[in-house]
Amino acid sequence: MSVLALEYPPINHLFDWPAFLFDGTALAVNKTVLIYVAATVATMLLFGLAGRPRQSLVPSGVQHVAESSVNFIEESVVMQTIGPDGRKFMPFLTSLFFFILFSNITEVIPGLQFPANSRMAVPMLLALLVWVIYNVVGVRSQGLLGYLKNSLFPPGVPKALYVLVTPIELVSTFVVRPFSLAIRLWANMVAGHLLLVTFAVLSAALWGATYVGAALTFPMLIAMTGFEILVSVLQAFIFTILTAVYIGGSMHPEH
Amino acid sequence: MEPTMAPFGAGPGVRPGVRSGVISGVRPGGRPRPRAVLRLCAALGLLAAVAVAGAAPAWAAGETIGGCVLETVADAKKEHGSLDAVKALPADELSALETDLEGCLESPNPILPALDEIIWGGLAFVILFAFMWWKGFPAVKRAMDARSEKIRADLDAADTAKADAMRTKSEYEAQLADAKTAASAIIDEARAQADQLRQDLQARAEADIAEQRARAAADIESSRRQAVDDLRTEVAAIAVGAAERVVGASLDADVHRSLIDGYIDEVAGAGSNGNGG
Repeated sequence: MSVLALEYPPINHLFDWPAFLFDGTALAVNKTVLIYVAATVATMLLFGLAGRPRQSLVPSGVQHVAESSVNFIEESVVMQTIGPDGRKFMPFLTSLFFFILFSNITEVIPGLQFPANSRMAVPMLLALLVWVIYNVVGVRSQGLLGYLKNSLFPPGVPKALYVLVTPIELVSTFVVRPFSLAIRLWANMVAGHLLLVTFAVLSAALWGATYVGAALTFPMLIAMTGFEILVSVLQAFIFTILTAVYIGGSMHPEH
Repeated sequence: MEPTMAPFGAGPGVRPGVRSGVISGVRPGGRPRPRAVLRLCAALGLLAAVAVAGAAPAWAAGETIGGCVLETVADAKKEHGSLDAVKALPADELSALETDLEGCLESPNPILPALDEIIWGGLAFVILFAFMWWKGFPAVKRAMDARSEKIRADLDAADTAKADAMRTKSEYEAQLADAKTAASAIIDEARAQADQLRQDLQARAEADIAEQRARAAADIESSRRQAVDDLRTEVAAIAVGAAERVVGASLDADVHRSLIDGYIDEVAGAGSNGNGG
């Protein structure tokens, strides 16, 4: 694709990686799959090393990272959205946060430079998993009828407004939430990857043509790289805190 | 040899061994120091690495159009034996090949999830969640709780030690107060005893003085009487002798004596009255 005389790779070529194992099967392995595996291994290593016995009294290194993260998720996510009885979801929320974070951050890691969550598969899968979990939690906490009643007929709303509110809540709670959750993560990662590729292509082309022109675009590429680190962390946090909000809403409809 | 010239902004307090800035990396003769050259090379290498790494997304394409076309043509050539055989294919098969080649230019819908990625990604997350549920999270949480518990126990121990110290201090202060009270009582008692002793001594001294004085008075009185008696005797003898010389005759000694005694008593009585006696 040519944009302003620059050869820009087709969009699907920036995201659709060829399989190098089991090509043509449902178990094909490509770069995206490897990033997910790496994210899993990295998280397991982080917590495996941090949870070793006889850790120091003053945490440092991986112990500090893991404990700070657990503390952050507990205090800033679980306690703010669910409450003390949400601590049983800590392993799930911690797994979710680190899995998404490590799959996002590969966007700026030299040699990888691809956010696995810019592919729709896993964001959609995780969003559906969250959808199942918060619905099951809602039914278990309030009973099926109670959960449906509290979800579709929010207390405190004038009865006349239920004509409007109930269809909106039905679509919002049971249909839109998983899509919004998945698409928010996916679209942010797609946009970030496109931004980085755009500035990288521009820098490479301008460097080859004029040298001086890249002086403008290359600093932007560096700045965008820093910005995408922030986006990677932020999107992992948003996905996790929204999951906690949905679970908290199912457990405590009065809030 | 260290450079004698201080770098910009460095005052006289800069140690000779501390180098900062480019100037300090240059020999006095103008030739750069080997370490400075190494640092410059390292910085350039790092910059190049960042540039290459930063620009790498430009080549971060999974599949190129040319590669796809070449792969499709190679597959067809392999299937039919040669390129000429491919060219000689019937129109419908050529049309199918064209469709395949056009497929290289088409983008698959990016929002449709790929089955292989769902399977592998889901499997990876399930494994991660199982590990975190079983071991990873509990171990970290246990370590955090153990540390919190240890810190709490240390704080409790410190509080207990502080309470013990305060109690010991109170006991010491009470003992000190008791000691001060006891010392004060002892001092008061000693002072009272000393007063009593002083009063006793004073009374005894006054008694002694009175006794001495009485004895002295008695001695004086005795001496005075003795003196009076002696004087009387002497005066009587002298008076008799004198009278004998005056009258030239010897008088009766007993008469004389009674006269003299009477006179002396008269004189003594006058003397005693004259002395206030």
